[in-house]
Amino acid sequence: MQSLLDLLQYLLDGRFLALLGASFAVIFAGIGSAKAVGMVGEVVAGVVTEEPDKFGKAILLQALPGTQGIYGLIIAFLILFRIGLITGDLKELTTVQGLLFFAASLPIAIVGYKSAIAQGKTAAAGVGIVAKRPNEQAKAVTMAAMVETYAVLALLASVIMVFRISV
Amino acid sequence: MAIVKMYKVSIIALEQDKPEILQALMNIGVMDITDMSDKAMSEEWAGILNVENPEDRLSKLEEYIEKTKTALSYLSLYDNSKKTLFETKRKIDENTYREIIENQEKLWAVVEEINRMDEKLKELKSEENRNENLINSLIPWSSAEIPLDLTNTRNTTVMYGVIPASEDINRIISDIERDIQECWINIINSDKEQTYLQIITHNSRLEELNNYLRQNGFNKVNFDLKGTVKENIEKFTDNIKKINEEREKLKDKIIKYLDKKNELEVLYDHLNIQHDKIGMVRRLVKTNKVFMLEGWIPSHSVNAFKDYFSKINAECALEIREPEKDEEYPVLLENNRFVQPFEVVTELYSMPKTSEFDPNPYLAPFFFMFFGLMLGDAGYGIMLSLVTAFIIYKYKPEGTMGKMMRLMFWCGISTTFWGAMFGGWFGDIVDKVTSGRVKINPIWFNPMDDPMKLLVWSFIFGGVHLYTAMGLNAYKLIREGKILDAIYDVGFWYVLLTGLVLLLAGGTAAVVGKYMTIIGAVLLVLTQGRNEKNIIKRLGKGILSLYNATSFVSDVLSYSRLLALGLSTGIIASVINTMGTLFGLSIPGIIVLLIVFVIGHGFNILINILGAFVHSSRLQYVEFFGKFYEGGGKAYKPFKINTKYIDIIDRRKM
Repeated sequence: MQSLLDLLQYLLDGRFLALLGASFAVIFAGIGSAKAVGMVGEVVAGVVTEEPDKFGKAILLQALPGTQGIYGLIIAFLILFRIGLITGDLKELTTVQGLLFFAASLPIAIVGYKSAIAQGKTAAAGVGIVAKRPNEQAKAVTMAAMVETYAVLALLASVIMVFRISV
Repeated sequence: MAIVKMYKVSIIALEQDKPEILQALMNIGVMDITDMSDKAMSEEWAGILNVENPEDRLSKLEEYIEKTKTALSYLSLYDNSKKTLFETKRKIDENTYREIIENQEKLWAVVEEINRMDEKLKELKSEENRNENLINSLIPWSSAEIPLDLTNTRNTTVMYGVIPASEDINRIISDIERDIQECWINIINSDKEQTYLQIITHNSRLEELNNYLRQNGFNKVNFDLKGTVKENIEKFTDNIKKINEEREKLKDKIIKYLDKKNELEVLYDHLNIQHDKIGMVRRLVKTNKVFMLEGWIPSHSVNAFKDYFSKINAECALEIREPEKDEEYPVLLENNRFVQPFEVVTELYSMPKTSEFDPNPYLAPFFFMFFGLMLGDAGYGIMLSLVTAFIIYKYKPEGTMGKMMRLMFWCGISTTFWGAMFGGWFGDIVDKVTSGRVKINPIWFNPMDDPMKLLVWSFIFGGVHLYTAMGLNAYKLIREGKILDAIYDVGFWYVLLTGLVLLLAGGTAAVVGKYMTIIGAVLLVLTQGRNEKNIIKRLGKGILSLYNATSFVSDVLSYSRLLALGLSTGIIASVINTMGTLFGLSIPGIIVLLIVFVIGHGFNILINILGAFVHSSRLQYVEFFGKFYEGGGKAYKPFKINTKYIDIIDRRKM
């Protein structure tokens, strides 16, 4: 019983919750990007088998859904920076502060995950455009960038929250 | 700074002069020849006009081009002389060119020879694959020591086969030992998928054994080989070695022809020029004796064109006239040195129609600014400008690539400017390396300290961008003579939106803002439904149109990416610097710092250039162009000498 209470206390430790938030941001945005980049990569590989010249154009589309993973890292880094883990002296955080950091990580974790996959699908379809009409590449890129908007908005929400939580 | 006016050229001449006239047009290289083949199909002209289709000659040429290309690709594969990223065209004078073309017979011998070797190399490759496959299939069996061709003796049968790993092999062996007895099973190998068995059995039990094995997923393997597995593997390995030797010999032979590479390049370009020229006749119409062609030339080359044409040795009727009203012609853009590289952004979207105006002068300053804001690091900006300046100076890339490089050069300057404003010099490297003793202060402010401030500024920049787009829409409407539409659809919106902004700003401005909002809204309600006849419908539509204010708000919010991407560059740069300085400034620490710095910032620059380019383009395409730009024009593509390797000097006498 006592150990269970201890465990609960650790779980409600502010620092743990803040780190959990940082991890969530990297984990979910990262998984989303990895899946999406992989998805586009498969299609790119198909096109490049037939037409190796199109590699440059197609690879650009593959890079696009990779940004969500980076956004996740940015939020994680900001959280780590705010709680003092980067500079070396980890600050004492209350449970509420920890939960706030955790909440701040959610936009990029969740939207990052889903938008990466959606963007991956759009980009994969865009590779088809590049394969058949290489001159229309900009349109394929723009379509994928439309999806990215929401990842950018989520990033922004997370950034502002992390910046503004007082520690 | 606009779309270049084009003049329409029509030429009617004798069929026999066609090659000469086409050659002349190609040499001038300014005319975009219109495809008239549709006209010959039309009912009005059917039976009178027809189109020459020299398919045989073209496919013959294509075959030659393909062969030359194969030969060239081998030669450049084995060419060890230095290769550069951007190939510059070799200058070649016209006499040398002619000499090479006149002596092309001996070049063809080389081309044919290399193509024969290509066939041979392909055969060798498939032979190599066959041997490799055989080796791979034999490797699991390598511990079988009985020669493979020994499949039976007087009383016994030897067989090989595999059983899926999912079957329990011990059970099978004990089953066989119990039920069949006169049988010897040797497990040769086993891997994740299957178990490899060698079985020797007495002939009298063969049928029973086969039945049992079949039920347990046994798959017989037949080797059509003599000798033991090891011997065979050696033999095939030896074959591969021989194939490789053969290949080296062929390679040496091809290398002997390396000195012909330059001449082959000339031949390749020559064939392509011929192909272009012959292919062009498909756009012309003809009767039995005469042919006609039409096309467009830019106004500034009209005189030169007339001049050149008066000198050629052929009779022809030549007419040059201005375009009629509303007549679409190929679009060529002409802009000053700053704006010109930005044309690439519009080209990637769609060329303007002839009736539109060129959006590039308006797009350029915004693209320039937004790119810099999003990359936002002076160190990165300097790198970008230096690298692109070097490429432009050294390799002189042309066409889209050239424009792209110059675009990036300008964007680098903008990036440097914004980086200095925000205090980003490779992130905070100076701060980190000196442990905070030296700080480069931002000229304006550091967005990391006050992101909200930059967010507001992003919205303001966005608002200016959108107002410009609306203004351009008004300009477009006025050009089309719809002055009232411009006032209703743009002017009133200006009133309403400006009012709303002032309202948000607070203070005395808010009072003005309130009245402007009300006046703007009333005017919009009154005018937006003006196409409806019914008065109630008209007002209803007017009220509904106010809802468009939300789309303006969402457009403005879209510019938050200026902040988000700018911050992300800075934060990642800072992560890299933190990682780099983790080990302090001892000697190994500095080595780590250098490695992390180069790789980390290199990666960050690349990924963020991509991001900044994509998102600045998006802001132009969706938010900016969405307000006024249609596009859909056809780009001007003059019929000219298109070469890949050479530049022929003095082409007029060619």
